[in-house]
Amino acid sequence: MNLTRLALVFTVLSLLGFGGGNAIIPQMHADVVDRYHWITSADFTRYYALGKLAPGPTTTMAALVGFATSGWLGAIVATVAVFVPAGVLVYVCGFYWQRFRGNPIRERFARAIAPVVLGLIWAGVLTLARGALDSPIAIGLGTIAAIVLLSTKWNQAILVLVAGVVGAIALR
Amino acid sequence: MASAPALRDSALTQPSLLAIARVFGGISATAFGGGQIAAIRRAVVRRNGWVSEDDFLGLLSVAQILPGANPTNVAVLVGGRVCGPLGALVALAAAVLPGFAILMAIASVLLASRAPALVGALRGCAAVAVGLSLANAIEMTVPRWRSLIDLALIAAVATAVLAFHLSLVVTLGIFVPVALLVTRPEPVT
Repeated sequence: MNLTRLALVFTVLSLLGFGGGNAIIPQMHADVVDRYHWITSADFTRYYALGKLAPGPTTTMAALVGFATSGWLGAIVATVAVFVPAGVLVYVCGFYWQRFRGNPIRERFARAIAPVVLGLIWAGVLTLARGALDSPIAIGLGTIAAIVLLSTKWNQAILVLVAGVVGAIALR
Repeated sequence: MASAPALRDSALTQPSLLAIARVFGGISATAFGGGQIAAIRRAVVRRNGWVSEDDFLGLLSVAQILPGANPTNVAVLVGGRVCGPLGALVALAAAVLPGFAILMAIASVLLASRAPALVGALRGCAAVAVGLSLANAIEMTVPRWRSLIDLALIAAVATAVLAFHLSLVVTLGIFVPVALLVTRPEPVT
C-alpha cells in the first residue's frame, strides 16, 4: 500500500523533474510531508543535508524518505522510482531531441522553461529554509555558507561537514 | 541508435560494459559536493575518448533540459551512445548505487543517534545545505536580473507554489505555455 504510493509519488517527481533535482523539492515536500505525513518538515531538510553530504545527486535523498516509510524495501523502491523513469525518458527522447539541435522550436522551449525552473528552485530554497533556519545560529550558518559559496570555489561537501562540527558544538 | 560502431568517429574507442560501470561508479562514489559533470567529462572525453567534446556538450544540453538529475541523465546518454540500451542501464545503475550506499551508511549513523552533539551536527549541516541551495539559486538568477519578464516569471512561479500550493504538474502546465508566449527567442547571456 505504502510502497505503491511511494513508487507513484517518486515516479511522478521523476518524470516532471525538469531542470534537475532542486526544482522538484517543493512538490516532494508537499507530497511526503504535507500530504502523506511520511516525515516531518525538519526530517525533510535533514535528508536534504545528508543528500548534499553523500556523493552523487542530492535526489538520492528519496531513498531516505523510502526508508522512513517502509525500511530497506522502501529505500530501494523510492530510489528506482525517482531515477529510472527519467532515465528511460531521457534515453528514448534524448537522441531525437539532439537531432533537433539548432532547431528554433527546441531553442524556444529551452529559453522558456529556464525561468519557470528557477521559480521552482527558489520555492525549493524557501521550503527548505522554513525547516532548517530555526535559530539565530542556524540562520548565521546558512548565510555564511551562501556567501562563502558565492565568493569562493570551496567544495560544498566540506562546507556541510564543517557546519556539522559547528552544529555539534553550538546547536546541541 | 548511435552504438553502431561504423557510425562512430574512428578516433573514439568502444568501451565494455564493465568499463562503463567502473567509470560512472568511481565518479558517483567520489564526487563529494557536486562537480560530477566535470568529472564525467574528464573521464569520458579526455581520459577514455568514448565521445568527442562536441558530442559531450550536445548530450549535456539534452541532459539539462529533459527531466531528471543532470549527472544521471548524462550517464544514461553517454552509456547509451557508446553501448546502447544496456550501456545506458549500466551507466545509470553505476551513477546511483555508490552514492545510495554511502548515503544510507551515513544516515544510519546520524539519523539513528539521539546524542545531542550528533543532533546538533545534523542541524548545522541542514542550515548550511539551505545556504548552499540559496547561493545556487542566486548564481542562476543573477544573469537574468536585467530581464524583467524573467524576474516576473520567477516570482510568479515561486509565489504560485509557496502561497497557492500549486502542484508541479499544474505549475508547469500553466507557466511553460505562458513563458513560451512572453519570452523572446534570444537566450539570456
